[in-house]
Amino acid sequence: MSTSKPIHMRGVCKSFRYFSLHDLDLDLEPGEVMGLVGPNGAGKSTTIRLAMGLLAADRGEVRVLGHPMPQDQAQAKRDIGYVSADMRLLPNASLGWHMRLVASLYPDWDEAYARTLLSHFNLHPGQSARSLSLGEQTKAALLLALARRPRLLILDEPTTGLDPVARHEVLSQLMEVMLDDRRAILFSSHNTADVERICDRITFIDRGRVVASDDTGRFLDSWRRIELELAPGSEPPTVPGLVAHTGDGSFHALTVRQFDESLLEQLGPDVRGVQRMSLEEIFVASVMQHRQERRP
Amino acid sequence: MNPVTRTLIAKELYLHRWTMLGMAVAAALAAGLCAFGRLAFNVGAIAWITAVIAGGVMLAIYGVGQERRDNSLQFVLSLPISPRQYVLAKLAGLLLAYLLPWLVAAGSAALLVVLSTAIPDGMLAYVAVLSGFLLANFGVVLAGALLVRSEGAMTAVIIVTNMGVSIFMFVVGALPGIRDHLGDPAPVWNTTILAVLLAEALVLASALLLPLLSAARRRDFL
Amino acid sequence: MNTHLHISQADARPMYLQIMEQIRARIASGDWEAGRELPSIRALAAALEVSVITVKRAYLELEQEGVIVTRQGKGSFVADSGRGSAASELQYQKLDEHLRQAVALASQLGLGPEDLLARLGTLLHPVKRR
Repeated sequence: MSTSKPIHMRGVCKSFRYFSLHDLDLDLEPGEVMGLVGPNGAGKSTTIRLAMGLLAADRGEVRVLGHPMPQDQAQAKRDIGYVSADMRLLPNASLGWHMRLVASLYPDWDEAYARTLLSHFNLHPGQSARSLSLGEQTKAALLLALARRPRLLILDEPTTGLDPVARHEVLSQLMEVMLDDRRAILFSSHNTADVERICDRITFIDRGRVVASDDTGRFLDSWRRIELELAPGSEPPTVPGLVAHTGDGSFHALTVRQFDESLLEQLGPDVRGVQRMSLEEIFVASVMQHRQERRP
Repeated sequence: MNPVTRTLIAKELYLHRWTMLGMAVAAALAAGLCAFGRLAFNVGAIAWITAVIAGGVMLAIYGVGQERRDNSLQFVLSLPISPRQYVLAKLAGLLLAYLLPWLVAAGSAALLVVLSTAIPDGMLAYVAVLSGFLLANFGVVLAGALLVRSEGAMTAVIIVTNMGVSIFMFVVGALPGIRDHLGDPAPVWNTTILAVLLAEALVLASALLLPLLSAARRRDFL
Repeated sequence: MNTHLHISQADARPMYLQIMEQIRARIASGDWEAGRELPSIRALAAALEVSVITVKRAYLELEQEGVIVTRQGKGSFVADSGRGSAASELQYQKLDEHLRQAVALASQLGLGPEDLLARLGTLLHPVKRR
């Protein structure tokens, strides 16, 4: 069990009335942080719930920490810390009660670490769950998950709704988790800046399909926006990996996903500038291309 | 039993401690009220039945539906349990949460009958079947809350079971085996009484079994 | 080991390059002496709050440049480099490669040697003024 991949999903399909997940492949290796990025309704939460065994796939294979899901979910969840942005604690109880509950169920609970997290996240055990704001609910849920030192963390938009200071605290704790190369994190987020910064690999999802999945570095290295000045009326040459082309008059911009230096040589003196793209720009361009390709 | 299931049952008891206490105290006071004359008896009896029913409905609705409504279901499901264990813990926990104040209520009613000189001890048998009915009733309401997803259907379940109480009191109260002995100085445990108690036990058992079987087949939790 | 390296997301350059630059600067200035052990990849990633893969890449490229050496199972260390050693040799090669490319681009644009040198001068000036 200690050598199995934290998450392995192959050909996973799941249908709902108005939405379907198709042929999803996702692999998370130990020691890795993977970011799941997608527009609202793309299927990020569905993917995460399938990984947690809260939903059963219609087709395909889901294995988490070596356990087939959802059958073995009770076993798997011993080693998984799950936090979702819309998750709430039980309202009639205090944070301290929740801490004792979790500590009694998980032998790896680290009380000292839990105490430091209380101070980092500015929470008090005596606070009743009902009195916590949305952001505090998320921080509390993260505390309960982190203090158990689980092998796998599955987080559904953990920083949404947090102020910048809290976000920084959370990311800092997540990176502490990565000091251990046997642990792994899957987290979905809208915040592409955070994803760009701390994720080793990124998977883009749109409308129930994986659009792209790669190392963060490779994404950032292969995508470029190239500005060209051409003679009016002429079209730029076809280049491999062309995603989009915009132009007015003599100025054109090419968005490419397979950039390398030889491309510049090919385009020659027409090149006015080459810009790297932020993950957000890459994400939007990927999704736009994907949607156009799928248009009947 | 799995330590997780045990912990979850304890959690139900903890979370519903005020409802439990409220139901027990209200029922005990209502029973006490019954000792003070005819009018007090009628008021007290109605109050007693109301307390016992209301406690059950609150436990069923808040115990089951609330977790889904206030999004704390995800927190519970993130614990190392399977859907079947979750339903089992819910059933056992809420049943236990109801049983304790129910024992107080049934006990205070029984005590009232035994101690009060104005109330014939023959009523004891009726107290037994009435209490048994209310327990079985709770089982049905609880099963309904676990099986049913829409608020509308849940409301229907509650209305129907409440109607059941009135029907029970008229129908069962009119059965010769029971009606004839209400005024007796000592309780009569005849076959009618025992048959009713048995029927109540069967209803309770099937009501509790149904959600377990259904949960075992359901594959999606959320 | 206390690391006071800093990564800025506002900076246009990729994070791994920022890391490489700051490490090279510390080595060049003598702050990090030859043979000194670098923080482990994961420790530096956690301290800087960047992905492990970013630090891995920085270390890999620094090793290819000969600025650091990685010993399997032991960690990464500042290389024993001085002027004229294998490490700086590689860097000079890289510089020449870049200059050759600049010369090629310049000729495509139709710039002569004086024009190219003038452009180089303008680019260097802002650095001097700071």
